[in-house]
Amino acid sequence: MMSDGETYRVRMTGISKRYGPIQTLDDVSLNLKPGEVLGLVGDNGAGKSTLSKVLSGAVIPDSGSIEIDGKVVSFSSPADARAARVEMVYQDLSLCDTVDVAGNLFLGREPRRRVLGIPFLDNRRMHDETREMLDRLGIVIADTRLKVENLSGGQRQSIAIGRAASFDPSVLIMDEPTAALAVAEVEAVLDLIRAVSARGVSVILITHRLQDLFLVCDRIQVMYEGRNVAERKIGDTSIEEVVNLIVGRKFVARSARASRDEAVQP
Amino acid sequence: MNVTSSPGNIGALPPKRAHNSTWKDVAIANGSVVSIALFFIVVCVVFSLITNSFLTTPNLLNIVRQSAPLLIVAAAMTFVITAGGIDLSVGSVLALTATLSAVLLQAGLPWPLVVIAMLALGAAVGALQGFFIAYERIPAFIVTLAGLSVIRGVALLITGGYSIPVEPTSFFVNIGRAWFLGVPVPALLALVVLIIAYLAFNRTPFGRYVTGIGANAEAVRRAGVDTRFMMLFVYILSGMAAAVAGIILAARLGSGSSNAGQGFELDVIAAVVLGGTSLFGGRGTIIGTVLGALTVAVIGNGLILAHMSPFLTPIVTGTIILVAIWLNFRLFKGATRSR
Repeated sequence: MMSDGETYRVRMTGISKRYGPIQTLDDVSLNLKPGEVLGLVGDNGAGKSTLSKVLSGAVIPDSGSIEIDGKVVSFSSPADARAARVEMVYQDLSLCDTVDVAGNLFLGREPRRRVLGIPFLDNRRMHDETREMLDRLGIVIADTRLKVENLSGGQRQSIAIGRAASFDPSVLIMDEPTAALAVAEVEAVLDLIRAVSARGVSVILITHRLQDLFLVCDRIQVMYEGRNVAERKIGDTSIEEVVNLIVGRKFVARSARASRDEAVQP
Repeated sequence: MNVTSSPGNIGALPPKRAHNSTWKDVAIANGSVVSIALFFIVVCVVFSLITNSFLTTPNLLNIVRQSAPLLIVAAAMTFVITAGGIDLSVGSVLALTATLSAVLLQAGLPWPLVVIAMLALGAAVGALQGFFIAYERIPAFIVTLAGLSVIRGVALLITGGYSIPVEPTSFFVNIGRAWFLGVPVPALLALVVLIIAYLAFNRTPFGRYVTGIGANAEAVRRAGVDTRFMMLFVYILSGMAAAVAGIILAARLGSGSSNAGQGFELDVIAAVVLGGTSLFGGRGTIIGTVLGALTVAVIGNGLILAHMSPFLTPIVTGTIILVAIWLNFRLFKGATRSR
């Protein structure tokens, strides 16, 4: 574990969550420094989604504690997490296809202009601020009046990330942002992740695309069957090692936890 | 008419191409409106040629006067359908408010009180149906189908099936019969409702959320909007609009009949869908709805003027709806496809 005395942006310790007979999370910890990009990897069902949902307030853990900037917090809903400046980009993106780019970025908090006490959309301000926001994050979209359904997968992903980033989060969680994207689009999304973290935002990146981890992450945390099994600085590891850690074979040989051997057999 | 931009252009979208997709986007967004406008013009030209009396000021004013209830309810229905719902009970609410307003006037209630009571009744019926749809998650089709039956039944029970006359000297009848600045009052009322509906639909956060809910309700909910209340509210709107239509109809005919507005809900839905609003939700247009409603009204009027059997009206209307939507679907694929 990294414990060099620095203040952590996020410190999750001893998080456990059980769904019926399945121990989805078993005493899991996660630490994140300001501006750090952490890759959270593991096989399906390893618990990475559940762990990220605990941090985003969507899942309430059975035990464990969360500290943000040194303060203990307890989230009972995503609204609590948002108030603590934790944002999550859902895998399904949460976009309205038939609403334009600016409308999606400002969904739920549209700038308003009151005429005779009636709230009207302040469209000009909304489009101006959208343009500014997109430029700042380097997202290339020709017209903020385009409907989201007419955008490419990468552009849609960028809108979803831009939307989350616009809440001025201190922690941004992304679930599979590069799945199902064309090669050039993956590059653009990874650039966007770099741009966001360069602004001091801590990022948790959940992905199955291991090559992406080595392009943007500072550190990788590997989960296996609801446990933390390894943590590596990106410079100290290789894609082969990460694969072995995820699959669990070499890990069993290296640590002496033979009791898990049966479960590990593919 | 393929609008999907090729992958890989996120970082290097050439301006030319971007311009094209913007233009196409505008065409798709308004394609359904353009096609119904053309249809409307064609229908008007045909009736102007085959009848002498169609294209005369009295007849045109008559059309807008008679179609006022349709226009008003169709404007509200545009919100309901765009939010992914449907309201089949509007014809029954129209009948109930028409009969009740005649009953209450006969009982000696002053007309402004009757109008307010009917609007409140429409809102209450809408709120009750909206509650079952938005909060209890029962499909809108089922809830409002039950409403269609129950509310019509209540109207029949009150009147025993007879129509109740409205005193012709009452000021109330002016709502349906008076003229103001050379225009029938119902048409002016419809115009006011349509302007409010247009502004609410296109210029307010409420209209934005209605569209958003139809496209992806979960996304709107995650954005912190009270989507359930919004869903309930659109049914309050359609209930109130149906009440306004009932008041206008009772005032114009000088009586409240529990058999009024049979099949009215289908005319309203036809007008909305003909206008280019998607039955799947997420896409709606008030301008299209106005054109759709006027097209339905003009067909009915024109067939009568052409001395054709009035029984042809539903056949022609139905055929035109199918053909118009089919053309719309073929020419402007984006306009009616589901998500």
